[in-house]
Amino acid sequence: MRKEKKGYHTGNVTTDGKKVSVKMELWVRLKVVDLVARTAIMTLIDKLDLGDDLAGLVHYSYWAMNASGGDFERVLEEVDRVIQMDSAFTNQNKHIYSLMVTDERARALHRGSLELEKDYPLEDGSSNESSLGGIFAVDCLVREMDDMRERGFEARLNERLEGVTVSGLKAGAMWRLLVHAVDAAAARKIARKMAVTRSRREGLLLNPHYQLLEIVSVAQLGNGGVGA
Amino acid sequence: MPHEFKDKVAVIQFPGVNCEYETVAAVRSVGLDAGLFRWNDDPALLDGSRAIILPGGFSYQDRIRAGVVAAKDAIMGKLGELAKEGTPLLGICNGAQVLVESGFIPGLHWERVDLALAPNVMADREGYYCKWVYLKKEESRCHWTRTYLEGEVVPVPVSHAEGRFVTDDRDIIESMKENGQIVLRYCSSRGEIDVSFPVNPNGSVENIAGVCNPEGNVLAMMPHPERATWMRQVPEDLHGEWGRKRRGAVGSIDAMLVEGPGRRIFTSLLEAREPV
Repeated sequence: MRKEKKGYHTGNVTTDGKKVSVKMELWVRLKVVDLVARTAIMTLIDKLDLGDDLAGLVHYSYWAMNASGGDFERVLEEVDRVIQMDSAFTNQNKHIYSLMVTDERARALHRGSLELEKDYPLEDGSSNESSLGGIFAVDCLVREMDDMRERGFEARLNERLEGVTVSGLKAGAMWRLLVHAVDAAAARKIARKMAVTRSRREGLLLNPHYQLLEIVSVAQLGNGGVGA
Repeated sequence: MPHEFKDKVAVIQFPGVNCEYETVAAVRSVGLDAGLFRWNDDPALLDGSRAIILPGGFSYQDRIRAGVVAAKDAIMGKLGELAKEGTPLLGICNGAQVLVESGFIPGLHWERVDLALAPNVMADREGYYCKWVYLKKEESRCHWTRTYLEGEVVPVPVSHAEGRFVTDDRDIIESMKENGQIVLRYCSSRGEIDVSFPVNPNGSVENIAGVCNPEGNVLAMMPHPERATWMRQVPEDLHGEWGRKRRGAVGSIDAMLVEGPGRRIFTSLLEAREPV
């Protein structure tokens, strides 16, 4: 089973001779203090009175794309080369990132030093197992409807990539909200309340008149890591 | 030391705004007293103020989304109270973004966010756009524009990256039309409403440049009237009557110091308030 999976990673194009289309995601965040994230935390806690619900928050720049032009490793290597060089995506002086293949056949493939599975900073500074009980991580993607910049990012990548082509690029801001909740459904509800601006007193992260919210995952923390 | 603003015009200084001083100067140019009011001063000091203006700039560095963080500030609660009592409240550019994110504009459902000022949509470009544009004054009961004639064409500069009025609820637009809340629309130098760029510089729905609340005392406008308060601010190559006046003023300091096309926004404050 393990061997079979490895074959997908490093195999040539595909068994039927077609080029592999690789689904990839790029998550980028500042490795210095993120003032946008700090402002969001302070606003949610101090101005919207959500301190009892919010345990922490991380803010990432996010891109998803399909890439083709070789096997999984080759495509990942080439996209990694370009995003490291182009400050529209990453600046090594201030960013850390995770570039990963999200295709089921090669999910383990990854570049960059950002460990998303460990990136759960709690606002109170605690990190022991017991403090994570009852906390859920809700990853909220905020994109603009008809975002012109997505085409710009895609064109920018394709101008620089050699032998690899990307398509279907999506770009947005990913907000990882760490919330106290009794279960995943409640966590999702709390995150939506924090995110969608309905009035002056409710919601912060997006204006629904031109932005979209996609809750991409909800995971319970604790129990030796991220739980289901 | 904070002081009272009774009978004065208060220009609110959120962290990150950058048009507050010229806005104060523009108000003073019509003979009114005006001053800066820091966002975290005691809001009670605003009681009795003649009017309140949220100036342009980048409140809170536009973090998260332009205007949204300032919209949540405590002072906005006080401004809401004063606006409901009839105090004239004007938001220019970033100030307009704050008013929209506060739900004061369009104000059909108080504090409910019914509009957005989204990133510009322009032909063959994206991002920030700074240019003189033309506005048409529409029929309205807006306090701030009553010194302009209906249909008058007013050149004023825009300077923003997120100035596109949009809503996902078409009924909001219809209600705004019925109430006469669409006060200023982008037009050509001859007053023609053209939806295409650059006449419409940001892709705003219905070419909207300025929206007031149903009572008419709160106005959110993306163009900068404080940058069009003196003739010397008008570019020489501007089309239309104001361009001709500006070219005719070359060589005369006195002619350069007369009023520009945006000043009458502030002159409106010389007229008595209408009850809301």
